[in-house]
Amino acid sequence: MSAPQAVDPRGPRFAAIVTTVVLVVVLATGWWPLLAAQTVVFAIGAFVGLKPAPYSVLYRLVVAPRLQPTEEREDAAPLRFAQAVGFAFALVGTIGYASGVTALGIVATALALFAAFLNGAFGFCLGCEMYLLLKRLSPRAGSAS
Amino acid sequence: MTGVIVAGVTLVAAVVVGLVVRARNGRIRPSGGSSSDGAAPGGAADSALDGLPTEVRDAVTGEAAEVTLVQLSTTFCAPCRHTRALLTHVAERTDGLRHVDLDVTDKPDIARDLGVLRTPTTIAYARSGAELLRVSGVPKREELLAALEPRLPDAESAAQRSE
Repeated sequence: MSAPQAVDPRGPRFAAIVTTVVLVVVLATGWWPLLAAQTVVFAIGAFVGLKPAPYSVLYRLVVAPRLQPTEEREDAAPLRFAQAVGFAFALVGTIGYASGVTALGIVATALALFAAFLNGAFGFCLGCEMYLLLKRLSPRAGSAS
Repeated sequence: MTGVIVAGVTLVAAVVVGLVVRARNGRIRPSGGSSSDGAAPGGAADSALDGLPTEVRDAVTGEAAEVTLVQLSTTFCAPCRHTRALLTHVAERTDGLRHVDLDVTDKPDIARDLGVLRTPTTIAYARSGAELLRVSGVPKREELLAALEPRLPDAESAAQRSE
């Protein structure tokens, strides 16, 4: 077993709150370049790592110094998976808005907002806990049933 | 304008779902009787065991424990780790109680057969294979023990019986 990467759980919570605000602004304005930027943010968190993810950097530089340090640590794997789910929705949303299929952009962004808000407000990681359901629904998961 | 309305509706829906999830977290749902939850075990003890996925049946019959807590987890689930730590601790200190953590990340079939949508879900089985209760999210230790108590060998009453 490789030693799991561990993070301060308040960092992802902060990132989810920032994400929520960004996605509300995207929905309100329909300004898709902002959604494209959020898609890149998700991609960094999911595929590069949580440390270089922009909101994590912001958390460490601005927020963490103002908080009590905590011993609490959370494993990074679920968080990166959640970023990947967010990335998928944001990517679809960006494509929708940019290609003029605004309804697709709105729906995909709303789904990402739903998950981000649940994470920020309730600390509930939808993508992580519903992983089995996602897997069951995804067409690739046809493992001999 | 549509976007603003969608954002508002989405946030309201998320608040509702968040409150429901929070209320359900760790709450014990007794099984059987009304057999509400997905794959309900049959009445007879034999058919209850037969109806279980192989991995679960092996877990329940593996050791002679009165009650086996089968926890379904995935790699991507942070509360699963907390649940595992809690249940391992509880099982170590409780006679007749056993805890098995099943990683079903690559076995969604098991979760489907058991009607489990969310991890962690913990299902308590009697030795007969009968399902006793379910808990989604991190269980609350005291409530879980209280719910299982009638099924567990009680040290005091056992002592009285032997007199």
